[in-house]
Amino acid sequence: MANLLENVARQVRNNQRAFSVTPKRREIFKVQSPEEFDKKVKNSQEPVIVDFFATWCNPCKLLTPRIESIVGEQAGSIKLAKVDIDEHSELALDYDVGAVPVLVIMQNGKEVQRMVGLQDEDKIRAWVATAVKNAKQ
Amino acid sequence: MMLLKSLRSSGTSRSVLLLRCAGSLRNAIKFDYDLVVLGGGSGGLACAKEAVAYGARVLCLDYVKPTPAGTKWGVGGTCVNVGCIPKKLMHQASLLGEAVHEAVAYGWNVDDRDIKPDWKKLVKVVQNHIKSVNWVTRVDLRDKKVEYVNSIGSFVDPHTIQYKTKQGELKQLTAQYVVIAVGGRPRYPPIKGAFELGITSDDIFSYEKEPGRTLVVGAGYVGLECACFLKGLGYDPTVMVRSIVLRGFDRQMSEFLAAMMTERGIRFLNTTIPMGVDRTPEGKLLVQYRNTTTQTDESDVFDTVLWAIGRKGLIGDLNLGAAGVQTYNDKVIVDHTEATNVPHIFAVGDIIYGRPELTPVAILAGRLLARRLFAGSTQLMDYTDVATTVFTPLEYSCVGMSEEMAIERLGADNIEVFHGYYKPTEFFIPQKSFRHCYLKVVAELSGDQKILGLHYIGPVAGEVIQGFAAALKSGLTVKTLLNTVGIHPTTAEEFTRLSVTKRSGVDPTPASCCS
Repeated sequence: MANLLENVARQVRNNQRAFSVTPKRREIFKVQSPEEFDKKVKNSQEPVIVDFFATWCNPCKLLTPRIESIVGEQAGSIKLAKVDIDEHSELALDYDVGAVPVLVIMQNGKEVQRMVGLQDEDKIRAWVATAVKNAKQ
Repeated sequence: MMLLKSLRSSGTSRSVLLLRCAGSLRNAIKFDYDLVVLGGGSGGLACAKEAVAYGARVLCLDYVKPTPAGTKWGVGGTCVNVGCIPKKLMHQASLLGEAVHEAVAYGWNVDDRDIKPDWKKLVKVVQNHIKSVNWVTRVDLRDKKVEYVNSIGSFVDPHTIQYKTKQGELKQLTAQYVVIAVGGRPRYPPIKGAFELGITSDDIFSYEKEPGRTLVVGAGYVGLECACFLKGLGYDPTVMVRSIVLRGFDRQMSEFLAAMMTERGIRFLNTTIPMGVDRTPEGKLLVQYRNTTTQTDESDVFDTVLWAIGRKGLIGDLNLGAAGVQTYNDKVIVDHTEATNVPHIFAVGDIIYGRPELTPVAILAGRLLARRLFAGSTQLMDYTDVATTVFTPLEYSCVGMSEEMAIERLGADNIEVFHGYYKPTEFFIPQKSFRHCYLKVVAELSGDQKILGLHYIGPVAGEVIQGFAAALKSGLTVKTLLNTVGIHPTTAEEFTRLSVTKRSGVDPTPASCCS
């Protein structure tokens, strides 16, 4: 066991192995381009929550970690795509984003429902759980 | 049809609707847009949004060329991004620093020794606010169905505009009307190091480093306001004045304001011009300058040099020659209907020659213009008696004529100037200086004494003068003013208590309040 840890530590030090704290990286990602949005959100098999946020928005800063941890709890049955509305203004405007933050649940390329503004963790959790349940039906 | 729906909701009669519909269809065949607005600032956006409310198809082009230091910003124009809004926020930040000290006098157990501003945090919160306004502006444009393109529009011919897309493609479109609302940008002096080493108001509100010891070159309101909030935040500003402070404003009030700033420890280099800027081995800025009165050359070292020597209109990118639009210096010439020499091309805001460069002026002019173009209105913009405020720590606000303008127009024998110093109640406890708390009213001498101008130096000057601007427009007289009961205790009520005239020679200093 000590050997294993030692090996990992050495590899991490030498940048040979990336050591990630988030076990399932792929279900939470930041959208880099409209093409990535099409591919990973609209054409996704699983439902995707799109977190429209802005760097200048304080409630967004509070919401993002909350939604990340809640999505993490769902263990892959729902994904999270983060969209910076200044970087992707046209996309945000296409989805009628006004005030931020906005969470939009997308399934089969269509919007199912949205939640505008920062909410309690419990409320978000219940909302996400319902979305996952509806998606499975 | 969307056009019909918006026309219908504007409350116009059926026959007018049909006529307008037909007219629009004619234009739809002839032009891509009813209106193209060049510039997405105060004037441009107001005009565009008003026009769509009357059913016009509108395109707005806005673009910001980065400053030499690389600063850029989003849609909304000068006011939102690098003018009124961040200025007022930084002014507020500096006033709050003062308030912390005053709080101690009022019994708050705050430790006010050595309080420091966190410049980076201030810049961050100011920029966050600006960006939220940029976003709201974009959403508003989309909701109101104004097409927006982030590019520079220029003329190909009087009815054709071209622009380059982000992909580098050239696009052209035609417009029935064009409104030029591209505003202005700060000037740089033609001296060594100006571009490379100096910054302007375009940069200061997002400046990444602490300004430190700052040289502000220029004594218009931009220079004075910047120097004042820098001083209030604990930095060390010096103001370099070529000739006089606040050119165009009432002379007496301007000198009072400068005296107020001097009392607060802001250094003035009077009758001085900059000659060149170099970087020192330590990375600071060495500025050479000349005192034009004594004809002596000197130099000094600063952390930051801020040029506030005036603004130039952005006609350069528009290719106005292709449209035949006449300009004067770097501004567009318009008549009393904001029309240029080309009948269907108009201009509003800072770009027009000879009008006050103020956001509310641009906004109202833009809206009235849109109504004349698309709603059959005949109302013209009234550029007279526009109230303004200089946001120094004791603010200066005025509406109407300066004393010297009244003397010039009516003659000293035909005017009466009422004046007085006053002592704001809140100043006593923290022992704030009220030496420059002063106001005056310039009025006609005879009859009910129509008021020509009001001037006020003191706290929240803009708030004080705003109501009086409406009163002046309604024909306020000294008789009415002095029969208006004041609200007590305020500083604004001092206008209703004026009794001493300059002509009498009586000392205008009050003994105490309430008597």
